Amino acid sequence: MDKGSGLETGATLPRSPTGKRTPMRDVRTEYAAETKNLTMLFGKFKALDKLSLRIQKGIIYGLLGPNGAGKTTAVKILCGLLTPTDGQAYVLGTKVPNRNILPQIGYMPQETALYVELSVHQNMELFGELYGMTSKKITEKEDELLRFVALEKWKHSPVANLSGGMRHRTSLACSMIHEPRLLLLDEPTVGVDPELRSAFWQYFNALRQAGVTIIITTHYMDEAQHCDKIGLVRQGRLIADGTPRQIMKETKTTNLEDAFLALSRGQETS
Amino acid sequence: MNIKRTLAITKKTFRGIWSDKAALMLLLVTPALSIVVFAFGFGGDVSHVRVAVVNQDQGYQIPPSRVRVSISGAILANLDSKVVEVDEVATEAEGVKLVKSADAYGVIVFPKDFTRNVYEKSLDPSLSLDTTIRVKLDKTNVNVAGVIREAIGDALVGASASMGVEGTATLDTSDAIYGEDATMRDFFLPAIATYILYIETFLMVVQAFVGQRISGSLARLQVTPLRPSEFVVGNAIAYSVLGLMQAAIMLTFSVYVFGIACEGSMLLAFLVIGVLAVMSLSLGMVLSSLARRSEQALASLSIVALPSFLLCGMFWPVEAIPTWLRPLSYVVPNTYAINAARDVMLQGWGIGQIWLELVVLAAFTVFFLALSTVSLGRVKG
Repeated sequence: MDKGSGLETGATLPRSPTGKRTPMRDVRTEYAAETKNLTMLFGKFKALDKLSLRIQKGIIYGLLGPNGAGKTTAVKILCGLLTPTDGQAYVLGTKVPNRNILPQIGYMPQETALYVELSVHQNMELFGELYGMTSKKITEKEDELLRFVALEKWKHSPVANLSGGMRHRTSLACSMIHEPRLLLLDEPTVGVDPELRSAFWQYFNALRQAGVTIIITTHYMDEAQHCDKIGLVRQGRLIADGTPRQIMKETKTTNLEDAFLALSRGQETS
Repeated sequence: MNIKRTLAITKKTFRGIWSDKAALMLLLVTPALSIVVFAFGFGGDVSHVRVAVVNQDQGYQIPPSRVRVSISGAILANLDSKVVEVDEVATEAEGVKLVKSADAYGVIVFPKDFTRNVYEKSLDPSLSLDTTIRVKLDKTNVNVAGVIREAIGDALVGASASMGVEGTATLDTSDAIYGEDATMRDFFLPAIATYILYIETFLMVVQAFVGQRISGSLARLQVTPLRPSEFVVGNAIAYSVLGLMQAAIMLTFSVYVFGIACEGSMLLAFLVIGVLAVMSLSLGMVLSSLARRSEQALASLSIVALPSFLLCGMFWPVEAIPTWLRPLSYVVPNTYAINAARDVMLQGWGIGQIWLELVVLAAFTVFFLALSTVSLGRVKG
């Protein structure tokens, strides 16, 4: 339907928010993530039904759909947390699940998934150490990320004392501490106020400019405007794939919510 | 109190319980299982206790009869074979050796010419003849020592009556091979301390693991380069330190505050209880990695706690448990820990005598750690 805005190997890389250039080593595939006929059954419930996606490197890809559409299941398969019932999934050219690609992935789950008894700093330090980062590097990256998520003042507060939104921001910072090449963010903007949400998108854009691929799931249709490409998912099936503009054009609608409703009706009648 | 709101809570709780069939099964099966184990394992009496017998009595041909009788033989025949199992040895030293190697609980010594002395003394009580049966016991197990004393006493009374020599032979149980001044408290403490630590460590680990699973942090760790083995060993190190601290506190309080006997090395007693704590946390990790919900993990506690409580030899010796049920005692790690703790604290045994128990506990630990690594590797999301 369209092409992504991925950077090609050898292109001049913009600086990442850390001020460092992000190297691009993998030339085996142009796709950061790819799924082929991905099917996932939970008992009799079909969470994914032959889902096929191709997500180019260096873009922000939004996986959109209502609750229960199968977005989180797809992300968990890409992370290696779930093994599909049928079909294949590839991340950075490697069939998943595969431990070797884990250092290149950053994952932010839908739930907070932090050690609430530990402070923000201690959580970030833990994740940094798990990725084999040096103390100096962790400190540098932590300071930068805490500035970004506006949590510098709360660095030494136990996560248990933070609000829901603050916990979400801490979780996002933890998923980015090791400068991954692919970020899988499951509903990252839930519980985040509009001002900070806007800042999040600016940062995601900066990461994208640095060559990081970002896959975001959301059920907020308005957020999809920020994505280079989106995939609309309903009942485990991909019902549309392309740029937001293309999808609206094809469905003759003016916003993605209406586009989704039009596509859903089309799916029901077919 | 509003009855509708109250019942709404009751209904919610029942629905929650009903939704988790695995936990429900465990909750319902455990009471029945515990009673079965208790009924078969306990049965109210100590039985099948091994005792060494040194019989120097050759019997006596009572004149003018030509029949040779043996009062010691009659006493032994009168011993309740369900309670006491006799192991005849040639010398007292041999019998003591059996007790020291934990193969017997006591030694019964019939002196030379016992029958003749008893018979002659029954005719003339003023005679100074040796008619005393000496019973040297391992008194560290207060229950067992009492049962042996009672069984021999009953056998002596029965045999003396049937042979018409009532009140002539006497029983001397004052000698102890171990536990000269042992009390019930001394006997139970090593077992109770070991058991409490076993349960506490288990609960500590289960609570922590299930918490990580519910919060999603366990799944998140699985998306990092962290390997299951690193997760298991990392946790094992942390909880071992806590378990060892608990063991040290428990032992220090028992011995220095409450004056519980510790005949052997405190360091060795600490090592035994500490190794059990590490074993227990590794068992906790296995069960928590298998459990999907906190209710399942906690229900598994009843499976872990109750059979080991009844089968580990805390209240009655493993030998007293029916033969068909006994193999279960040997797969309960606590059996080895309690044995070793008692051996060190009550009998003063050293590493040379309890190394096997320590090796078994270490083997259980390695097995459970390996199992939790495999189990965590399989558990996703």
